Amino acid sequence: MIFLKNVKASMLRELRLMRQRPVYLLASVGVMTFCCIFFLTFLRDGMPDNLPIGIVDNDNSSLSRNIIRQIDATQLGKTVVFDSYASARKALQTGRINAFCVIPEDMYNDVLSQRQPVLTFYVNSLYFVGGALAYKDLLTMANLSSGAVQREFLRAKGMNDNAIMGQIQPIVIDAHQIGNTTTDYGVYLTNVLMPGILEMIVILVTVYALGSELKYGTSRHLLEKSGGSMTAAMLGKLIPYTVLFTILGIICDLILYDLAGFPLAGSIWNMFLGTFVMVLACESVAFFIIGALPILRLAISISALYSVLGFSLAGFTFPVEAMPPYIQGLAAAFPLRHYYLMYVQEAVFASGFNGWYPQIVYLLIFMFLPALVYKRLRNAYQSLCFPRN
Amino acid sequence: MKNRISYPVRWFSDWYRTFSRELLHIFRDSGVMVIFFLAGLAYPILYGLIYRNGSVDNMPVAVVDNAGSPESRQFIRDVDATRELSVRYSCADMSEAERLMQQRLVKGIIMIPDDFSDRLASMQQATISTYADMSSFLYYKNLTMGTNMVMLNAIHKIQAERFSAAGYNEGQVSAMVQPLRYEENIPYNRTFSYSIFFLSAVLLIVIQQTMFYGVSMLSGTMREENRSFAILPDHLNGHGVSRTVLGRGAAYWLLYIAIGVYITSIVPRIFGLPQNCPYWQIFVLLLFYVSACVVFSLTFSSIIRHRETVFVIFLFMSPICLFLTGFSWPTSSFPAFWKVFSYIFPSTFAVQAFINMNTAGADLSLASPQLTALTVQIIVYYILSCTAVLIENRISEKSTWIFR
Repeated sequence: MIFLKNVKASMLRELRLMRQRPVYLLASVGVMTFCCIFFLTFLRDGMPDNLPIGIVDNDNSSLSRNIIRQIDATQLGKTVVFDSYASARKALQTGRINAFCVIPEDMYNDVLSQRQPVLTFYVNSLYFVGGALAYKDLLTMANLSSGAVQREFLRAKGMNDNAIMGQIQPIVIDAHQIGNTTTDYGVYLTNVLMPGILEMIVILVTVYALGSELKYGTSRHLLEKSGGSMTAAMLGKLIPYTVLFTILGIICDLILYDLAGFPLAGSIWNMFLGTFVMVLACESVAFFIIGALPILRLAISISALYSVLGFSLAGFTFPVEAMPPYIQGLAAAFPLRHYYLMYVQEAVFASGFNGWYPQIVYLLIFMFLPALVYKRLRNAYQSLCFPRN
Repeated sequence: MKNRISYPVRWFSDWYRTFSRELLHIFRDSGVMVIFFLAGLAYPILYGLIYRNGSVDNMPVAVVDNAGSPESRQFIRDVDATRELSVRYSCADMSEAERLMQQRLVKGIIMIPDDFSDRLASMQQATISTYADMSSFLYYKNLTMGTNMVMLNAIHKIQAERFSAAGYNEGQVSAMVQPLRYEENIPYNRTFSYSIFFLSAVLLIVIQQTMFYGVSMLSGTMREENRSFAILPDHLNGHGVSRTVLGRGAAYWLLYIAIGVYITSIVPRIFGLPQNCPYWQIFVLLLFYVSACVVFSLTFSSIIRHRETVFVIFLFMSPICLFLTGFSWPTSSFPAFWKVFSYIFPSTFAVQAFINMNTAGADLSLASPQLTALTVQIIVYYILSCTAVLIENRISEKSTWIFR
């Protein structure tokens, strides 16, 4: 009973601190709100449309104009006509267009006389998304144009349209995208970036909350309030944050899967669970950092370096299995990595508990971290023996 | 007596005092040293290592071959031969393949229906289904590119066979199969390597972000110690803003030119990034960029009250700044508001110029729009950082007056 009273006392003290110092709410609620608005509006189109694609038309025939119209007709592309290769190349080098196509002189005549003219594509793949999509658009256009010429030829031979399709395109690919049917970039990125931002917030705010007791020399006051019990002090201090972060995470999940309507094959309750366990794991990491380095200025710099790396090592952009082996091991040290794997199982494949329980176990293993530095942090809190600045 | 020293000498000695004091602060502060040197020097290396391989090769896929015909087997062999894909499992039915995908042993499934060869034989369209794991877009890209390439080759082969069976000669057949040919040039990043794409953007972001965090930490420290970041030389009675700003700025500028040279010349060499532009031109860009970053950091660091809060409040801006450069989501698809918002950051322009120059081989004249934008930023942020110093002095004057 006394223990619970101590926890309560420390909790009330923390709530008062949170009220007095706006940085806690600004850094959690404020940052989450901003990032949510940013990613949902920034990527709201899902797929880029009207990507500028350059055309150098040296032919100026009905066929070349038809090619231009075809690109304009796709939702993805919008042609920009250049009068020379040099000017198109300049636009490519300055990133104004991500790809262009040179239509050779006398293309139409060469087609008619079966001389197989060559279209030339230039793609700037430094702009990954724009480059790859523009490239795909140009390839489709070239194959369709070839098909159209073939169709005219076969029609002249008297073939019927049904048979013509079987000849122009004997094989078609029916592509299915599991977990993101519309190839929506917003869905793909936001679903992991937002939990990544949450991870960053949890680690930074927890380190800051625990470390500022040391910095401002108030840790003895905290221990006094909690009846000298470090456990009660820590529990009381962390419970309000855990509740706050979990609520933020759950609201974020609701916004993504409910309000924004991002596809979720499994159950949102499991996502809540994943979010909650990730919050606990991140708090444990934060506890470990401030415990190992009980100097706020250093601990906060290290946490910043650590949490930014989480985005890359989660492996949702560039897959972890394609990274060098020694980096693959490092990836396991980031809660976001395990959250991402759990998210894939639940939201993409709906494989349920059997699919993702190992990830939850790994996340829970993070919770042993505080035990390693618990004594050290208690000493620091009691004796304030580390440099404050 | 007092006016015996001439104005330029006085100015320079004040400037020098601020400059050396700032350098001293930087090197005495372990937190700032971690950010400037550990992050500034180690991050680029770490990112280089993470993305070292650049592409996902031989991605494992499962195949469900319900046709079991020579054509379908050939298709599968061709898929296996692509750089992108590797046929790791042959499954008896879809449910088995789905299970493999759920266990993440394969990242894609290719299903060939049982009527595949019959339809081809009867000149009808045959369909092949692909299923991509969308948890990473690189999986999707590999599956699409690999299967499409094989499909196009298969189509051309089938058409050629049919035309030659109809009695056309070789030249005619080729012209009918591909009346229009195409040739692709992907000059700057041939294999769509992720490392070239990502490193080109992130290298310069590291410069801006680490500088901003470091400068803010120091401003915060000064505030906490009841000194202001805006201390003016005592003997000037509230004048001499420019030498304070320029003196402080020069300290960071000097450090970051060194870090910047390391990031833009040594790191690309370590990881074999292409450098298609003479280095002196990159250096000119660096001069503009570092100057813009210095005044940008001095301006925004003036709102920081406590040293550690800059991370707690502003760390999330790092990934956002990265997106705002347009290196991934194309600038032409930015919503108008965020496009304008991106103009706040020097990184937006510098990263674009760096990508264009360093890898796409554009020269300084082609980067002039970005250099102009950076110049505007330098001027605007210089004025703003001077204003911040002035306001800060007014406030501290007033507060001392009140407390008196």
